[in-house]
Amino acid sequence: MTLLKILVVDDDPVTRTLLAKRLIREAYTVDTAEDGRVALEKLARQLYDVVLTDLIMPGGMDGIGVLEAAKRINIKTEVVLITAHASVDNAIEAMKKGAADYLQKPINFDELFLRLDKIRNLKMLIKNALDLGEAMDVTEKRSAETIQNLEIMVAGLNGRLATIKTVLLKEEMAPETRILFALDRLNE
Amino acid sequence: MLKIKPEEIKVLSNYIYNVSGISIDASKAYLLETRFGKLLEEEGCRSYVEFYRKAKSDTHRTLERKIIDAITTNETLFFRDTNPFELLRHKIIPELIDNRSGRGITNLKIWSSACSTGQELYSIAIILKELLSRNRTHKISLLGTDLSDAAVAQASAGTYNKFEIERGLPREKLHHYFTPAGGNWKIKDEIRAMATFQHMNLMQPFVGLGKFDIIFCRNVAIYFTLQDRKKLFEKIAHALLPDGYLLIGSTESLTGICPQFVPKRHLRSIYYQLQ
Repeated sequence: MTLLKILVVDDDPVTRTLLAKRLIREAYTVDTAEDGRVALEKLARQLYDVVLTDLIMPGGMDGIGVLEAAKRINIKTEVVLITAHASVDNAIEAMKKGAADYLQKPINFDELFLRLDKIRNLKMLIKNALDLGEAMDVTEKRSAETIQNLEIMVAGLNGRLATIKTVLLKEEMAPETRILFALDRLNE
Repeated sequence: MLKIKPEEIKVLSNYIYNVSGISIDASKAYLLETRFGKLLEEEGCRSYVEFYRKAKSDTHRTLERKIIDAITTNETLFFRDTNPFELLRHKIIPELIDNRSGRGITNLKIWSSACSTGQELYSIAIILKELLSRNRTHKISLLGTDLSDAAVAQASAGTYNKFEIERGLPREKLHHYFTPAGGNWKIKDEIRAMATFQHMNLMQPFVGLGKFDIIFCRNVAIYFTLQDRKKLFEKIAHALLPDGYLLIGSTESLTGICPQFVPKRHLRSIYYQLQ
């Protein structure tokens, strides 16, 4: 799996730029949005693996709004909220609504990268499980066809063998006749 | 995680075989570790031999039940493989009803013999509900049995999480037959009431079950030895009515296992009937 594609949403240009710069340095693909409205437009246009959003933003759409929109557009998009110490309770509420994680300001970048690694691993595990399920499904379907065909074929052959045996054991018939009858059954 | 020693593999797999009939060969040692690692810790055992001794000496069989819950594979989903359920809807049920008509009230007894967490039996119940809802001359009894108490308990509760619900269940059926229950989904009473679930070990004699019109025995015999598979299907043959139907897993075969059963094909499905 390639590195995650991240949308950074923050109304503060300094934080936004800093976040984007550090993430790009770690080789993540990064896009930014200055408020919830712009974030929504970008989310509707393309897929992001992770949305990293400030919890409190002006302009009608806060981090929770971004979370809800992102999840509505694509349930697989993971949302990490950035919050000030005072609003940790809100962040926990957001986790209940489906946020993957939250980070407290000031942002500790090592912590951020660890959380992103965790999200990436989880996504890879889910993908592996789905791939495995799909591969198993195909294998099961194919082997079911083979086994079921064989099952019917063997039952047919067994039936024929039983008839042949009955014919060969018919003492009232001459041996040559029995053999001819048996060969007939065999050639059916 | 604690490593299992070669001599412990034998002791533990013998024990599992004795209590469940599940046959685990030595190459599957990892299965013992992954399935029992946590239980071992919870029980405070420092080795698998200690774990075995504890289970063996527990007269209440609490640990035995936990071991059975951990070793049974509860892989199941609603309408698994689709084909058997289409077969049920379009062939088996109409045929049985046809055969039995003229005899007053039609009794239909169906058994899901390794029902796991109940999805198979509820899928059957949904089909019967859809087929027979307007007709009150049918007396239906649906039985689900499983070796695992935990699986039977979940089946009885009829509650499924979103992952279980997402597997196999079409959306319109979900809304029709389930109600939301605190983040989970619960089967509606009208379907729940059609089914009975109970614990049962297929290795033991079938007592008091009576005879069935349809038996589902899918993807369970694969865990048994050849000899035990033969014994199982022999017992199933006795538990099936003369014109009854047996359905096994899509990749299973009865060739060389039970000569009493004849395979028959209908479209993309195979079912078995007594000779």
